[in-house]
Amino acid sequence: MSFEEQVDELERTVMSEKPFFSRPGGKIFIIWLILSVIGVLIGFYAPHHLLPAMMSSTGTDVFKTVVVFTVLAAPVAAFVYAVGIYSLIAWRHKGDQDEPPEDGPPMHGNGPMTVVWLVVSSLLVVVLLVWGLSVYMAQQVSHPNTLQIDVTGRQWLWTFKYPGTGVESRTLVLPLDRAVEFNVTSVDVTHGFWPVALGNQVDANPGEVTVIQTTPDKLGKFSVRCSQLCGLYHAFMYSSGSVVTPTQFSQWLQAQGVPPALADRTARIAR
Amino acid sequence: MYVTTDVAPRLLEDTPLGPEAGGLYRRQNIWTGLGFGVFLGFVAWLISHALLQGSNWGSDMVVTVTMVAWVIGFNIGMGSFNAPIRWALGHDQTHQDELYAAGVGQGRSRYLKFCTDHKVVGTQYLVLVLVLFGVGGTLAMLIRTQLITAHSSFLSPETYNSLVTIHGMCMIIATIIMVSGPFTNFIMPIMIGAKDMAFPRLNAMSFWVVVSAVPCLLATFFLGGVDAGWTTYAPLTVQAPPAMDAFAVTIITFVVSVTVAGVNTIVTIITMRAKGMTMGRLPIFTWGSMIGGGLGLYAMPAFLLVMTLMITDRATGTSFFVAAQGGSGWLYENVFWVMGHPEVYVILLPPVAAMLEVASTFARKPVFGYKVVVASFAAVAGLSIMVWAHHMFTTGWAPDLGGPFMLTTELISIPTGVIFLSIIGTLWKGRIWTRLPMYFVYLFLWNFIIGGVTGIYLSDVPADQYFHGDMFVTAHFHYTLLGGAMIAATAALCYWFPKVSAKMLNERIGKIAFWMIAIGIQITYFGCSGRGSKECPVVWRTTTRSSSMPTRWPPVAPTCSCSDGSCSCTPCSIRGATGSRPRPTRGAPRPWSGRYRPRCHWRTSLWIRW
Ligand code: HEM
Ligand SMILES: [Cu+2]
Ligand SMILES: [Cu+2]
Repeated sequence: MSFEEQVDELERTVMSEKPFFSRPGGKIFIIWLILSVIGVLIGFYAPHHLLPAMMSSTGTDVFKTVVVFTVLAAPVAAFVYAVGIYSLIAWRHKGDQDEPPEDGPPMHGNGPMTVVWLVVSSLLVVVLLVWGLSVYMAQQVSHPNTLQIDVTGRQWLWTFKYPGTGVESRTLVLPLDRAVEFNVTSVDVTHGFWPVALGNQVDANPGEVTVIQTTPDKLGKFSVRCSQLCGLYHAFMYSSGSVVTPTQFSQWLQAQGVPPALADRTARIAR
Repeated sequence: MYVTTDVAPRLLEDTPLGPEAGGLYRRQNIWTGLGFGVFLGFVAWLISHALLQGSNWGSDMVVTVTMVAWVIGFNIGMGSFNAPIRWALGHDQTHQDELYAAGVGQGRSRYLKFCTDHKVVGTQYLVLVLVLFGVGGTLAMLIRTQLITAHSSFLSPETYNSLVTIHGMCMIIATIIMVSGPFTNFIMPIMIGAKDMAFPRLNAMSFWVVVSAVPCLLATFFLGGVDAGWTTYAPLTVQAPPAMDAFAVTIITFVVSVTVAGVNTIVTIITMRAKGMTMGRLPIFTWGSMIGGGLGLYAMPAFLLVMTLMITDRATGTSFFVAAQGGSGWLYENVFWVMGHPEVYVILLPPVAAMLEVASTFARKPVFGYKVVVASFAAVAGLSIMVWAHHMFTTGWAPDLGGPFMLTTELISIPTGVIFLSIIGTLWKGRIWTRLPMYFVYLFLWNFIIGGVTGIYLSDVPADQYFHGDMFVTAHFHYTLLGGAMIAATAALCYWFPKVSAKMLNERIGKIAFWMIAIGIQITYFGCSGRGSKECPVVWRTTTRSSSMPTRWPPVAPTCSCSDGSCSCTPCSIRGATGSRPRPTRGAPRPWSGRYRPRCHWRTSLWIRW
């Protein structure tokens, strides 16, 4: 083939090249775009329906994380689904029972595509990691004036002690907007202390004290469950919890027999 | 029935077996195995009962000793130890004995005997796996029946909890061997051009050892039940009834089998390849088998260790896991998950590799990125031994390690992602032939994406502090294990079934089963994750009056049961579908390949009638 012929040939292929959106790549791009948008919308709306209304700082972290991760994952999942769907539409051999008359192209791999895939997934992992670590580290910071509560699990109930007041209760009452630290332990087997809508949990291990902290930031009720199978009535091992205003908290302490002055001091209400 | 075989027919004609060939093997079969196992178990029970009665830890010791005696007795009775015993006595197996043990001239009865032919072992494994799925699936149906209403009193709490535990362990055992048992044995040697596995007798032994573990597992129901979940966390299990000892013996036995099988696979692939079958040309399934088997060699011993310590804690008064006496439940959890995370990839890698073969055949294209896939299998295996503590984010053990384990866990999604790349790359511009096995490839794609995405929430420490222990985790691992691994294995089953049985599956029935499974999984586990993450009432592994998924969403409950049921029915529908067409449609030994790149494992074999 002479040079002119080659140029002609090239020109013809370029000219006859179909517009982007009618090539496989373009069509897959459209499917991908639609699915990604759906995925992102799911990421923004679904958590409102699938997660409980979170009542604390850690709960809000969980909520945000779920949204962010879903939004990040959606385009990746959408891409895989888009190629899958397109392959069924466009490349499917019609006529189930008879085998395709010829083979597909003998393509053993595609270096650039593989590199792009690896780079994109690595970048996504970096984003996940930075997000996760920064949230986790922020949660570790200890706050001044933390309210300490000793949590004890036993088969099959929870008890909550408020040190310094002598109060021992079956329900968990927390003041609003005050950091609280749970010191969790067990007297028999391993339990899991899980104040659900506070979005945090830690196991109660016999012979060990484990600590988690959170800051309740909404008034209301939540339930405290056991998240670690602990025998026969594990499923019935739950208590109720509530987040109240400091004044109500002080009143609750007084109702448990704490002298008013001490109750107010514990609830940090100036007289 | 047809068998495919390379060696046997020639031997059959050339070497008539003398009446002495086989020696003791001639008199052994599953009945002598059962008989001797029960006998030895009974003797051990009598002796240990007499000696230990009334002592503090008596019943635990008695159960352990009895179970171990049963396992050993069964295998002696089967003939697993014939050759080594004879060898120790100064006789070796003669060539004729070996031929007999390989099943020459025995007809179908060899399926119930100690048979060293890899194709027989593979078929035996296949039947065992289907039986285990049947048992596990039935238990799942009972679980679902209990959950039909929130206040159902169909099962007592003890029964419910033990059903959940045994369902879990039964399925774990079944999924670990679901591809490495049947297909690594049957197909892999043919793929690499080997006459048999490297150690045929160990191969047969690995099968009969795992068979002997199954009665131990079921015996737990009669020994008080294990109500601690499949993870059997200490110290709860230290207080459990003697069923826990039977459970531990089950696992120890199972580990022996898996370890032996793993060594056999690796040695076979490394040393028995035909000329020209270089490592770089190994079919991808062979790589999956080898890397999965190798990872098992790392993971399984930890399981054996932790269960042995559990038994000594219970039966001899040690206190590895008892905090009150200086032990630690965290020790148990660590060793368990050092096994437990690699184990999920021991389960996953062989089916995924098999499914890549399926995708390549039905897209009429080579596997996309062969080398990258092999590398990513290796990377997954390597990373998977460094991520175990993501199961312990909320235990309170080493909070400072949350970050590093979050890193390793998220890193593993990079090589896992390459598997997706390879599948969609293989589909790219292929000639997609949607026969039954290909349906399952697409279903895998759908499910495993969901499994992977749910995994990233769980790998994030702050988010896992919410999700841990609820139905969301259950949904995650059912999407990966059932929706991913098991569906990939089903693709492999449909694909290789004609190779194993010389019969085609009935596609119409197969496709009905497919849609029931596909839809069932979505309803059941999407339901789980939704309900689980909202109110979290269905704390995993519970019997609970507030297990509210069914109550809040009444029509779903029966559907869930049905769909779960359909999954366990798959084997049945597949079985039912088989008889219908006696011979492959075309090109008998290569029903799928036709003109397409005849793969050596479809081509080499002879098809003989016996
Ligand atoms: C993208 C990859 C994956 C990631 C990031 C991931 C992450 C996790 C995490 C962090 C947990 C612990 C959750 C908790 O207990 O709070 C978990 C549980 C689990 N994962 Fe995955 N996973 C992945 C893929 C898989 C695969 C492929 C399988 C199996 C084939 C699997 C099987 C399991 C099982 C069985 C459990 C639950 C064990 C139990 O607590 O009983 N995961 N996963
Ligand atoms: Cu508990
Ligand atoms: Cu894991």
